[in-house]
Amino acid sequence: MTIQKQENQIFQVETETLRQMVQTLSLGAALVQLSDWNVLFENASFFKWFPPGEDADEPLTARLEGFNANRAMTRLQEGHPYSFETESKAGGRSIPISVELRRLSDDPSEPVVVECRDLSKQKQAEYMLESYSKMAEKNARDLQREKDRVERLLLNIMPKSVYEEMRDYGTVTPQLFDNASILLLDFVGSTEMAISRDPAGLITQLNDIFTVFDRITDLFGCERIRTVGDAYMAVSGLPEQNPEHAHNIARVALRMMRYIERRNSAHPEAWHARIGINSGPVIGSLVGVQKYVYDIFGPGVNMAARMETLSESMKITISQNTYNLIKDDFLCVERGEFEVKGFGLNTLYFLEREHPHAR
Amino acid sequence: MSRTIFERYGGFVNVSRVVSSFYDKMLDSPITNPYFTNIDMRSLIDHQTKFIAYLMGGPASYSNDHLERVHARLDITEAAFLEAVLMLKETLEDLDFEDQDIRTVEEQIMSTKNFIVTRG
Repeated sequence: MTIQKQENQIFQVETETLRQMVQTLSLGAALVQLSDWNVLFENASFFKWFPPGEDADEPLTARLEGFNANRAMTRLQEGHPYSFETESKAGGRSIPISVELRRLSDDPSEPVVVECRDLSKQKQAEYMLESYSKMAEKNARDLQREKDRVERLLLNIMPKSVYEEMRDYGTVTPQLFDNASILLLDFVGSTEMAISRDPAGLITQLNDIFTVFDRITDLFGCERIRTVGDAYMAVSGLPEQNPEHAHNIARVALRMMRYIERRNSAHPEAWHARIGINSGPVIGSLVGVQKYVYDIFGPGVNMAARMETLSESMKITISQNTYNLIKDDFLCVERGEFEVKGFGLNTLYFLEREHPHAR
Repeated sequence: MSRTIFERYGGFVNVSRVVSSFYDKMLDSPITNPYFTNIDMRSLIDHQTKFIAYLMGGPASYSNDHLERVHARLDITEAAFLEAVLMLKETLEDLDFEDQDIRTVEEQIMSTKNFIVTRG
């Protein structure tokens, strides 16, 4: 037995036992001479990881790849430890190893301690985390893309602020907009058009036209509410209030007409639209649970529909309300009084063009 | 939708234990060890993390083509493949996976055999 109990209760261990213990540590340990890096002592792990070459007396500098001897010397002379990471290539596979050199004492003649640890586990965890976070990031990106796609689809059927309300609160409260203008467009005689015998061709053309309408609507900050067959409905002044709502919808109507005229002159097939516009309060709401659609309601909407039916081919008919709002900036021609179903006698106007000063 | 094995066993935290333990077993086995000589640890662990996540229905996917490509030059024998399957099974047993789940993972990995074992 090499351990002797002393009176002061501290175990005194014989040097040989200590040496044996250091030999069997899984840590790599060595003692080197600072002046020439000669290895004075090394344990089994150190020898296994960094075996000397043919020259059994190889100094430390030759045995450790990536060992910066100059820097190590400076650090150790300052009394600071020096550490770096290297790899052991022993046994065919490389093992990542951290190496730390430090002085045993302030006495420069005392050897330097070299301590080496196997970093495999740590690296394993690091690489695994790296790999997994990449997977997770990729998935997050895929999810985001999917979310964006869904968002784009939803934005097609409802205004952005309504979508945001639904996203954040799960429901949308119907909202009254006191100042809005509604546009309704319909094509006259489309059933008699030659193209109507070719439904696919009809849809393609209608799709082209509505796509342009969408752009025009968007350009003037209006919202396309819906299309039903060859009818197109847009609104201005909601969900964001806009004092220019009547002006904007009038501009949209004029541009739609101009587009159709130009299109007709370049196409064998002529389309004839009529437009009705009214200004007044409307209620905007999301309708439906599973299949929802953003729609607008109220007498203001009905009035716009009446204006459209009372309009004429390639003409824009506006109500008294709209006329009052835009008469200073647009050229409108009085059509006289008309009996409007549900609204009694009303003076109607054709919207002709915008005065240059208003633009 | 039923939850995947990956989700039921606590996601990445537990899968990382599977990868780590399986990796050690593969390096210790004299049958599989030679395949890991001179292999970059980072890419090996990357592959194993993804592959094990994939076997458990986690957020990674492997096409058969991809598996065939990454194993093509390794000359993997059927014996080595079966040893690896056995070690994965043992790993899952050690980490207290349910028998049914171990069978599912085993079936999943066996279905990839033709793409991992090098055809001579």
